Amino acid sequence: MVRHLIIGNSAAGITAAEILRRLDGRAGITVVSDEAEPAYSRCLLPDFLAGRKTGADLRIRPADFYAGNRIDRVSGRVLRVDPRSRQVLLENGGCLDYDRLLIATGARSAFPPVPGLSGPNVTGLRTLADARKIVQLAGNVRRVLVVGAGFVGLETAYALYNRGLEVTVVEKMPQILPGQFDATAAGILQRDMHAEGMRIILGAGIKEVLTPSGFLNFFNKSAQGVLLDNGDRLKADLIVVAAGIRPNVELVQDTGISTGRGITVDQFMRTSVPGVYAAGDVAETEDVVTGRVGLTPIWPNAVSQGKTAAWNMAGQPRPCSGSLGMQNAVEFREIPSIAMGITQGGDPGLEVVTAGQPGQNVYRKLVLRDNVIVGMILVGDISGAGVIGALIRKHADVRKFKDDILRGRFNYGYMLAEMRNAG
Amino acid sequence: MKSIMIDLDACNGCLTCTLACAAAHSRSGSIVGAMQEKTPARIFIEAVNGRAVPVTCRHCEEPACAEACMTGAMRKDSLTGLVSNEGHEQKCVGCWMCIMACPYGAVTAHPRERVALKCDGCPGLPQPACVAACPNRALRYEEPAFFAAGRSRDAACSAAQAS
Ligand SMILES: Cc1cc2nc3c(=O)[nH]c(=O)nc-3n(C[C@H](O)[C@H](O)[C@H](O)COP(=O)(O)OP(=O)(O)OC[C@H]3O[C@@H](n4cnc5c(N)ncnc54)[C@H](O)[C@@H]3O)c2cc1C
Repeated sequence: MVRHLIIGNSAAGITAAEILRRLDGRAGITVVSDEAEPAYSRCLLPDFLAGRKTGADLRIRPADFYAGNRIDRVSGRVLRVDPRSRQVLLENGGCLDYDRLLIATGARSAFPPVPGLSGPNVTGLRTLADARKIVQLAGNVRRVLVVGAGFVGLETAYALYNRGLEVTVVEKMPQILPGQFDATAAGILQRDMHAEGMRIILGAGIKEVLTPSGFLNFFNKSAQGVLLDNGDRLKADLIVVAAGIRPNVELVQDTGISTGRGITVDQFMRTSVPGVYAAGDVAETEDVVTGRVGLTPIWPNAVSQGKTAAWNMAGQPRPCSGSLGMQNAVEFREIPSIAMGITQGGDPGLEVVTAGQPGQNVYRKLVLRDNVIVGMILVGDISGAGVIGALIRKHADVRKFKDDILRGRFNYGYMLAEMRNAG
Repeated sequence: MKSIMIDLDACNGCLTCTLACAAAHSRSGSIVGAMQEKTPARIFIEAVNGRAVPVTCRHCEEPACAEACMTGAMRKDSLTGLVSNEGHEQKCVGCWMCIMACPYGAVTAHPRERVALKCDGCPGLPQPACVAACPNRALRYEEPAFFAAGRSRDAACSAAQAS
C-alpha cells in the first residue's frame, strides 16, 4: 500500500486527496494542516467579513468528505520535510512517514517592512482566523486602513465598508488593481468605489505606523494612525495589510528541494527531489502565455495543479496544462470584470485593440501577438470569457474573428461552425 | 454515458430547444408559464455568419467550471456524470469563476439572480427537454460512440478543450 502524505488542506491539497482516492482505492491518504477547520474557501473570506456567510458556509466539501473518501486528517504544523528518511516533522514533536509527499502549503500575507506594522490592530486577511479577528476588532473601531489595492485589499475594503466602517485604501502604485487591470479598467472600478464612499489614496506608501503616543508627538493629537511617504497622516484604528503574498516554503529549506520564490516544479508537479511534489500557491510553474516560471496564486490554478500532482503521484503520468494568470473582480459593485494573461501593451511585438464605453462601465481590450491573443480585459460584460481563455491557452490564430471577439459577438458556435466547414 | 450530441447540419435555428429548456426549468413547467416567469434558457442558439449553431454544456469529463469553482457548488456527479451548481450542500455565490473557465461559454450569469446558470442535464427526465423537443433531430441524446461520424462535434470540441 502506497502512503500518500499531503501537507495542506485547501484548494490544491483537498483536490489531490480526492483524486488520489478516485485513482487508487487502497492507497493510504493523509492530509496534515495547521488550520483546524475542514477545507474552506479563502475566496469567500470577504463574504464572511461582510457578515453574509458563517464559518460553516465557507466549507468546500460535504460534511462526510473525509470519512467517505477514507482520508486521514492530522492537525499540526509541519516544521520540516526530511526527504532522506521520507518523513515530515511536526511542531508538536511527532513525525509522519510517506512514500509520496505533496507540499500544498499555499502562501501567507506578506507584510512590507514598515516600522510599527505589527500589533493587535494590524492583520492580514488570509485565514478564517484572520477574518474572525477582523470581525471582532470591527465591533470597536471606526476607521479602517487597507494597505494595498490589489484584489484582496479591495474585497476587504468593500466588505468592511458594508459593515459600516470608514474605509481608506492606500496603494503605492498609481492605480488600483495594478496586477492585471490597466488604467482604464481600474478607473471604471475606482469610480464605482468612490461613488460608494470609500477613500482611495494612490501613489503613496506607508512610511511608519504611529502609536497613540507617536501620533501625539508628531501631530499633537491623540490617535493612532500612519504616516505616508508623501508626508500625509491618516488616523486608523485597524490596519489590514493586503500587500501580496509569500509562499510557505520554509519547511523545505536545506532539504535539496529547489525553490525560487516558491517551490520549483516541472509540468508533472515534481520537485527536484524524487517522490516529492508541490502544487498551488506554493508552487512555481510555467505560465502558458509568457513561458516564464513564476507564481500564479489563484484558486483554479491551485485545483488544476493539485489534480495533476495526484495523477502523477498515483503513477499515471500526466502533464499540467500550464497556468494562466487570471483575475476576476466581481465583488466590485455590479460591474463584473475579468483580466487574463498579458494585459499591458508596450512591447513592440504586441498589438492592442480596445472597444467599449468606459464612461458607461463597458470596456474590452485584447492584446495579441501575431494574431494570437495573449491577454484580455473584459469590464461590464464578461459572457464567454472562458472561450477567449481557451483561445489564449491554445495559442489559436484569431485573425478571422478578431473584430467579433473585440465587439463581444464571438462565441463557441463560431468554432463549431469552423470545424464543420473544415471537416 | 449518454450526452447531448449536436448535428449542425440539421439545426435550422427554430429555438424550440430554448423554449423547452425554459419550460422544463420553470415552476409551471409550461412554455407560457416560463415566459411569464421569465425563466432563462440554458441552451443557446448562436448566429454564426447566418447559420444557427446550438451551444450548450457538454458535461465534460474534467469540467473546467468545477475546477474553478471557489465554493464547491459546481460539481460533476460521479453516478450521473452531470455537472451542476445546483442541489449540493455547497451553494453558488455568483463569483463567475466558472464563466471565466468554461471553454464553451456554456455557463452564463442568471439575468436576475446572483447565481451561475448552466444546463443541468434535466435529471429525472428520460432525456433532456431540449433534445425531446427538437423537431429536426439536430439535438440527440446518445452515447458519443454511436453518434454518426463526420458530424465534427468531437473534432470541434477537442480543438477547443482548454487542457
Ligand atoms: C481574501 C482572499 C480572497 C481570494 N479570492 C480569490 C478569488 O476570488 N479567485 C481566486 O482565484 N483566488 C482567490 N484567492 C486566492 C486563493 O484563495 C488561493 O489561490 C488558494 O487558496 C490557494 O490554494 P492552496 O491550496 O495552494 O493554498 P492555501 O489555500 O494557502 O492553503 C494552504 C494550506 O496549507 C496549510 N499549511 C501551510 N503551511 C503549513 C505547515 N507548515 N504545516 C501544516 N500545514 C500548513 C494551511 O493550513 C492550508 O490548509 C483569494 C485569497 C484570499 C486570501
